[in-house]
Amino acid sequence: MRYKGIIVEPEMRDFFAGKICPPEHTPFSKEKIHQYIEKCFFKITPAISIEQSIFSKKKYICNRCLNDNQEEFVEFDCARCGKVCVYCRHCINMGRMTSCTELLLWNGPMPKFPKRHDFKWNGTFTKLQQKASNELLESMKERRNHLLHAVCGAGKTEILFPAVFHCLQKGLRICIASPRTDVVLELFPRFQQVFPNTIIHALYGDAPKQKGLAQLVIATTHQLYRFEKAFDVVIVDEADAFPYTFDLTLQKAVRKAKRQGAPVALVTATPSVALLSKAKNEGWGYSFISKRYHGYPLPVPRFESLWFYERQINKGRIPKKLAQWTKIRIERKEPFFIFFPTVQLMQQAGPLFQQIHPDILSVHAKDPDRKEKVMKLRNEEIPGLLTTTILERGVTIRNVQVAVVGAESKIFTSSALIQISGRVGRNANYPKGDIVFFHHGISAQMDAARNEILRLNWEGGPNEPHGN
Amino acid sequence: MNRTEIKNCLLCNEPLHTQMDWKRLFIRSFPKTICQECEEKFEPYSHEQKDEVVSLYHYNKAMQDFLHRYKFMHDVLLAKVFSEKIHHHLKNRKELIVPIPIHPEKLKERTFSHVDELLKQAQIPFVHLLEKTTTETQGGKTREQRLKTPQLFRLKENVQIYGKEILLVDDIYTTGTTIQHAKKALIEGGAKSVKAFTLIKVGGFHN
Repeated sequence: MRYKGIIVEPEMRDFFAGKICPPEHTPFSKEKIHQYIEKCFFKITPAISIEQSIFSKKKYICNRCLNDNQEEFVEFDCARCGKVCVYCRHCINMGRMTSCTELLLWNGPMPKFPKRHDFKWNGTFTKLQQKASNELLESMKERRNHLLHAVCGAGKTEILFPAVFHCLQKGLRICIASPRTDVVLELFPRFQQVFPNTIIHALYGDAPKQKGLAQLVIATTHQLYRFEKAFDVVIVDEADAFPYTFDLTLQKAVRKAKRQGAPVALVTATPSVALLSKAKNEGWGYSFISKRYHGYPLPVPRFESLWFYERQINKGRIPKKLAQWTKIRIERKEPFFIFFPTVQLMQQAGPLFQQIHPDILSVHAKDPDRKEKVMKLRNEEIPGLLTTTILERGVTIRNVQVAVVGAESKIFTSSALIQISGRVGRNANYPKGDIVFFHHGISAQMDAARNEILRLNWEGGPNEPHGN
Repeated sequence: MNRTEIKNCLLCNEPLHTQMDWKRLFIRSFPKTICQECEEKFEPYSHEQKDEVVSLYHYNKAMQDFLHRYKFMHDVLLAKVFSEKIHHHLKNRKELIVPIPIHPEKLKERTFSHVDELLKQAQIPFVHLLEKTTTETQGGKTREQRLKTPQLFRLKENVQIYGKEILLVDDIYTTGTTIQHAKKALIEGGAKSVKAFTLIKVGGFHN
């Protein structure tokens, strides 16, 4: 009998293992992919599938992002196939998927991951961290979901290390997902340092191409759309960060990217009530850390009235209290963040602040120099940054002081405010700092945030550093 | 392409608060597709323009993003965004409306003709008189290269345009190469006059 098969190229296998993508989005030639398709190394599905029963309306589902919100599907006359096609607007930023696009799913042999890894970390845990870390490890061993609830600055990333190391040694493929690019950028170098011999990839919007097959993937939750049944463990950092709580399809993406039965660990400082009760009802592992790693209590926000701040800024002057606050920070050489409710207001205030100090910069979500500006603040090249809520999480700067302008605005929910307050006093050498909510009337969300911080401090017990 | 009701801004996805009023109820008008904020980011041409080429908008950051999403990310639905303005401008024109065509191969790749789609959504009838001869595009070329390009269009077979007044329609006017080539082909084919209308114009002075 003649041998008709082909020898699977490792590059093909490594690229496609766990992925779901159209042939155009791959570095391989059409001919080569066709050859593999003929030999059944791929399963093929249309990018948009249609569900229709006799009595109900047509229903579209996007097989890449699992979106089934019918409002986000658009029918159009397609010139490629000459029929009416449908595309999904939900994940269009990652390249449009239409009903005449085919998605490839690897059906060939799966790659094996190495089991020998280096673990270079010589930090120490506090008692609470140690306990949480052990609990997480236990959950991963038992393949059970886990909720890690820890206050801002509790040292969450370190807590993950032992569990990640354990999984790596088992030859498992791990994904650490976060809704925010900033978090991915912050986590990536830390994990590279701790696991120097492990192939780690960071995936986000404009990430550079990275070589090899990553056993540990650190990705924004959007990038998970590209995977299907890929991971043996998924850890979602800042699990409640916008848009994760709202965006059901992102939750589906996590479900899609993991293998069947693979455990999911959610890490958050501000779990919603729904999440807490879900964890309880479904018997997840649960760890709670009410104290920061350095043992000092969380800085409690103070409320300052800043009546008609919007009108004043519109008129071209910074409200007195705010200007005073900024000047004191500059005098004392303390780096600062000033949060604004809208990009528009921030951009109006930008030049006004530059009259106080010419190096005060502002960043917003679409700012291309976002990374560099935060770096500048960290290196003390600039005194402070004006920002929208994009920097509310994942950014750690030594001795940073924070003001929120218009804290009563809708965009500042209690969890956003808790996160923003959590930027302050993270460093053991500077455990205290000023967090002030400038407002035009106190909102219920502001009260809720302050009460929650007070509650956490109370639960953390007596305020002695390194006490427990 | 149908979607009965647009509930969120097509550009920023913020909910649209369309208020029902008497005018909307009785006069058939184009539904709102983008929010006030997004609309303000576009910069309309307000001053007098030469009659030869009329454009609706300046090419600014917002327009660049729009064009990228529409033409290159293939978000066909965005053809609706400027329907009302295009309709308003073209409804009373007496000339024959002729969109700039794209090459059949390019059409397959893009799956839709972006100029045709703009006109269809604006409910403006049009005819195709031209054919593109090359698959190359003007985008990504320098000014020098553009000005040197050999003829891009030829007249379709069996069309009679002798003595006709024609209005060319394109999405964007940069150096004018595309429009000039199309104009030349039409004039040589016997057209009486050729004018042009584009959604966007690059350069020109901003007010």
